[in-house]
Amino acid sequence: MSDLAGAPRPSSSVKLVLLGEAAVGKSSLVLRFVNNDFQENKEPTIGAAFLTQKCNLPTRTIKFEIWDTAGQERFASLAPMYYRNAQAALVVYDLTKPTSLVKAKHWVAELQRQASPGIVIALVGNKLDLTNDSGDGEGTDANDSGDARRVSTEEAKTYAEEESLLFFETSAKSGYNVTEVFTAIANAIPETSLKTARGAGASAAAASRAEEQRVNLNGPRDPNAKEGCAC
Amino acid sequence: MLNLSSFVQKAQQLLDPTQGLNLSDPDKNPSKASLFQNQFRLPSSQHPLYEITAELTIPPANATQGDKDRDRGYHYAGKLHLSESFLCFSTTPSSFLQSASTSTSSAFTGQTHGGGPSGNGFTFPLCSIRRVERLHSQNFQFALAISTWNGIQDTPKDKDASKDKPVVKEQRITLQLAGPRVSCERFCDGLKKGLRAGVGNVARLRKVVAECYSEYLLRPEDKKNASPPDAGLGMMFRYPGDPKKLRDRAKMRLWAEYLRDNGRNVTLIRQPTFHKLIRVGLPNRLRGEMWELTSGSIYLRLEHPTLYAETLAKFAGMESLAIDEIEKDLNRSLPEYPGFQSEEGIGRLRRVLTAYSWTNTDVGYCQAMNIVVAALLIYMSEAQAYFLLTTLCDRLVPGYYSTTMYGTLLDQKVFESLVEKTMPILWEHLVRSDVQLSVVSLPWFLSLYVNSMPLVFAFRVLDVFFVEGPKVLFQVGLAILRINGEELLDAADDGAFISVLKSYFARLDESAHPKSENPKLRAVTRFQELMVVAFKEFSGITHSSITELRMKNKDAVLNNIESFAKRTAIRNLGPDSKLLSTEELSALYDRFYGVLYERQQRDLILKQELARRAKSARPRVGDSANNHAEAVEKGRVGLGPSTSLMDYDAFREFLAGLSKWAISDTPATPRRDTFAEADKGFYNSFSRRPDTMLSPWGAGPEPADHEFLQRLFVKWDVDSSAALTLQNVVSGMARIKGKRDIMGTITYFFELHDDDGDGKVDREGILRMSEALLFLSRRGLEGTLSPSNSTLTLNGIDGNSRDDMPEQTVSERFLGSVSAFIRRCFEYADPDHPRYQGAGREERMGEEDQLANPDAFAIGDDEDEDEDEDEDEGEDDLLTMDSPTGSPKVAKKSETVDSQAPPSLRLDSMTTSSSNDPFDRRRVSKAQSERANIALDPSNPLHITLPTFRMVVLADELLEQFFESSFPASFHILEGIGSSSSATPSSTLTTFSNLGIGAGRAVGAAFGGAAPGPQAGGRGLRGVLDNIVTDGMRVAAEVRRRMDEAQKELERNALPGQRGDDDDEEDDEDAPGGVPAAAGKTAGGAYRDPERRSVRSSDRDLLAGLDAEAGDAMVPGTRVGRASADGSAAENGGGAAALPVGTGRVVGVEFDG
Repeated sequence: MSDLAGAPRPSSSVKLVLLGEAAVGKSSLVLRFVNNDFQENKEPTIGAAFLTQKCNLPTRTIKFEIWDTAGQERFASLAPMYYRNAQAALVVYDLTKPTSLVKAKHWVAELQRQASPGIVIALVGNKLDLTNDSGDGEGTDANDSGDARRVSTEEAKTYAEEESLLFFETSAKSGYNVTEVFTAIANAIPETSLKTARGAGASAAAASRAEEQRVNLNGPRDPNAKEGCAC
Repeated sequence: MLNLSSFVQKAQQLLDPTQGLNLSDPDKNPSKASLFQNQFRLPSSQHPLYEITAELTIPPANATQGDKDRDRGYHYAGKLHLSESFLCFSTTPSSFLQSASTSTSSAFTGQTHGGGPSGNGFTFPLCSIRRVERLHSQNFQFALAISTWNGIQDTPKDKDASKDKPVVKEQRITLQLAGPRVSCERFCDGLKKGLRAGVGNVARLRKVVAECYSEYLLRPEDKKNASPPDAGLGMMFRYPGDPKKLRDRAKMRLWAEYLRDNGRNVTLIRQPTFHKLIRVGLPNRLRGEMWELTSGSIYLRLEHPTLYAETLAKFAGMESLAIDEIEKDLNRSLPEYPGFQSEEGIGRLRRVLTAYSWTNTDVGYCQAMNIVVAALLIYMSEAQAYFLLTTLCDRLVPGYYSTTMYGTLLDQKVFESLVEKTMPILWEHLVRSDVQLSVVSLPWFLSLYVNSMPLVFAFRVLDVFFVEGPKVLFQVGLAILRINGEELLDAADDGAFISVLKSYFARLDESAHPKSENPKLRAVTRFQELMVVAFKEFSGITHSSITELRMKNKDAVLNNIESFAKRTAIRNLGPDSKLLSTEELSALYDRFYGVLYERQQRDLILKQELARRAKSARPRVGDSANNHAEAVEKGRVGLGPSTSLMDYDAFREFLAGLSKWAISDTPATPRRDTFAEADKGFYNSFSRRPDTMLSPWGAGPEPADHEFLQRLFVKWDVDSSAALTLQNVVSGMARIKGKRDIMGTITYFFELHDDDGDGKVDREGILRMSEALLFLSRRGLEGTLSPSNSTLTLNGIDGNSRDDMPEQTVSERFLGSVSAFIRRCFEYADPDHPRYQGAGREERMGEEDQLANPDAFAIGDDEDEDEDEDEDEGEDDLLTMDSPTGSPKVAKKSETVDSQAPPSLRLDSMTTSSSNDPFDRRRVSKAQSERANIALDPSNPLHITLPTFRMVVLADELLEQFFESSFPASFHILEGIGSSSSATPSSTLTTFSNLGIGAGRAVGAAFGGAAPGPQAGGRGLRGVLDNIVTDGMRVAAEVRRRMDEAQKELERNALPGQRGDDDDEEDDEDAPGGVPAAAGKTAGGAYRDPERRSVRSSDRDLLAGLDAEAGDAMVPGTRVGRASADGSAAENGGGAAALPVGTGRVVGVEFDG
């Protein structure tokens, strides 16, 4: 908003909230996205943490205002405070922990009912690095201890499709797919809902792009974690 | 129960007239004891026993330095309080006596405003007092000299050494008591008693005190070789911050001096310097001890020194959800502090958090506790941290870490309203730019600033917080906003807002006025500025203003939490919840938790009252409400974990709110309120009528206890845990109400009675089913029923005499249906032996049955049944039969349920009217019933299967309708039964009066007119006889041979009745006449089954009452003599049911006229 004047491309803020069970890696995803960093022992989020990061799309710049919420069950009642007015949500689960997907589904339902209509929701299975098919070639480690994956891609993907969610599997540790999540969300935000919306026609294009991307990302895995988006 | 509750009520009103108004608001009207405990931070075991105005004199040697001119020492006027094991003195004028008004006990002054040890004074455990002397003073004043064990603990070993150096100076203070001599004496007596009791604790005190660093600090140098007590991880890993910059040494010196003069740890006397020393920041090594002392957690530790170790030992190796959660966070608690990168630090953190999670399973573990405890562990030992955490959660920041975090959310609301009040422009700006303040401030409060500010500063905040209480958190928060006001006004969104504050916290150590000419001013750090602003500018923020705001916002916050919890709970219900509408789910949720909540409330209040009464037996125990005030709202969903399991009694109460049939007919306690009102909002309405909760069932009607309820409960309790979850209830309800599918309902009903799940229901089960049907219908059938056919049939049979008879009530017909049901069940039951065709064992009187052709009823023939039937075995039950009850609108079965008697032994009494049916089938029916009789023979085990059951049900229109609509419709999930019975104050009474009306009408219909009266009488009589037969059949099921005799006897008795049936005009005589016959017969039945008999006898009184009513109803048009006999029965035995009977009578009289 503030840098609108100087920016070559239209820039707009998008409020994004992260939800999900405790210790699935919400803060780590944000940290990876914002600072391209990873901390093994991240302090638990108390209430919520706030960070911002820009994401440059071909036609515009999205400034994410990220609300990273606490995951412990009892903090759930605080969540409405944070997802209020959110245009996008990242619902994260740990793909080595089936219960976290259940919790994620609860969050999706909560958002669909309580959050702003038209909120873009992405379902993200994190900790891909712990599975055999981790996209970054660290699979050998995982092989030693066996595959830690407990939630199949199919299951989560089917669910995501049913609920029309974006879907990704990521690793905050390796950085795999992290930026893509945010980019896809940026693309999926209907232009009309942006504070500085211009041209309604672009939104359809954006949506289809997001669709493409989603398909691609679930195809052959890219072994190299991308360095943050064009931020 | 009645006595207790009325006593309790009265007592409550006497004790505190306002109490009734704010029962749910303990904060607004806390008990004197809790005020006292808060003021002195004492454990909840302590109560204010005696108090007296006194003057404390501290001799000059003990006084802090300076002020030498007052060589006689320091004098403080104040109040001296005595509790069970503490002697407290404070200059704050407060009173905790029973006689004191609320304002004198809650209008505190001083820094803590009642939220902690304020003013000057002391809080001595009685066991720390070594000697009390009565001083002879010239001015006739009552003076005590008190010496403490202060510093004595290391002297016993070396009495010789003590002469070398003046090691220990005895702490001796003087107290002059002011007041009438009597009260002084009384106080001293109390003190004496307390001291004596405290002697045994001296050893414990020494042990506890030995863990205080001050003991080590004040030890003479030559004895310091012993290792110092554990003063936290800081001793190993250094304390955060630069000691030089913190001027730790200087602070330590000042404290050493203060402690030397004023006592250490538990014997410390608070003088003005004490508060100043705390404001400038505690020295590292004393910090833990002073936190422990000022927060009062040391008194908990003193009370139970080994609790921590014991808890750890007790739960060693056990697992819990909290432990899993703790493990996740251990590595991420103050990870920047070296101590928490080591196993040592992590281990301590793990143990403290784990021990606490076991001690307080309601709280368990909440993220942020790890950060707070980690901070505590830098300065104190594990045990100290454990008790301090307890104090935090229970007293200082209650509800912050609970499962709903209502305390946190509440304080955020309070904080917001304080910002609005004190900084309206900033608030305006926040609102305009849509910045949510609490997203910023919530972590401040939740982690007590520990992870918001650099640690050194956060600890300074904590220093003050532990003395002055939670208001400090608000003061500091407001000061932060005030200081950054300008910049915050420029911040347009959350992001900017947050970054302003982030950078402010990062520069707390910088000069607040870097450009100032004045070097002194330049030396003031931003943190110092913050403290000044917080405590000077916001000195108006007091404990009481916070409390007030909390009160104001509490309901809104709790409602928010509850609606969130409800939303979540409903969404997370399983797939079968989809069978119910959202409104129904929502109503079920409310009812479920409403019942649990109310029950807990009642439980608590009753318990308190019992405790109070027990207490009041002991004279001079001053407090009236020893309850922990917070506990009063226990059970409310928003306050955290309450039970979410419904036991059988709660289930009964729950059903009684939904279904008329689940209400007991024999309320032991009168109702004061309508359930409808209770429904409006169970939390709020609750607070307005505390009195109603003192009855065992609260405001609601007393629930029935019937085997059917038990079966339902067991059925719903799928995991056999003897308790239902919301999920169980929803699933159970979904099966009944969900699909509105008659087959499903029939199946469900069958399964309910299929104990072993083998798809067969035996003879006993069939009878139970019919009992259940009667039980469910005794207050009338609901849903859509079409009476037309049966009315026709009915008229058909007795057409000649009944032309002007009003249409038979549904309930009457239903009874007929049930009796037909039994008969058909037996008839079509699958026997394990070839069927007997023994014919003509007995003559049946008026039984008609068209069941000759099974196909006929498979199609569902209409209302072919007209049997009157009674399964009752007791004579009393039989007597009830002469009440042909029936109301046009509501049913009126005079079934009596004794909530004490095991339902399986209970019989449903019934009366009925017969409907009728094609006569041509009569002959057949005789044979059929013969067969049915034989089917009762225990030597012929039989059972029905689901298809048979289904067929039998579908054979009867009314039963079919019952399963199709009545039964599901009888669960009034949405509107409750309040609305359906709203016309009368109590649905129980409604039923009784309806019963009366019904009886009256029926009788009126029967006897009132010339022709119909006698006719109905005849019918009634015939019904009685039929019932006798059925009853006999049932008894026979147990002893066949005797059955045969009974049948014969029955036949004999029945004959006149049958005749009466034919002779309309004389029926009125026969009707009553049938009763004795029936009674005689059942007496025989009872004789055969003594066990049942005895149980039934407990119901007699009630039955007698009903009988009387029925009798009265019958009086009109018949014989007065008979009626009076029944009436006297009512007087003798019907006392308990006086009201209902009365109602019945009045109605009867109406018809009389």
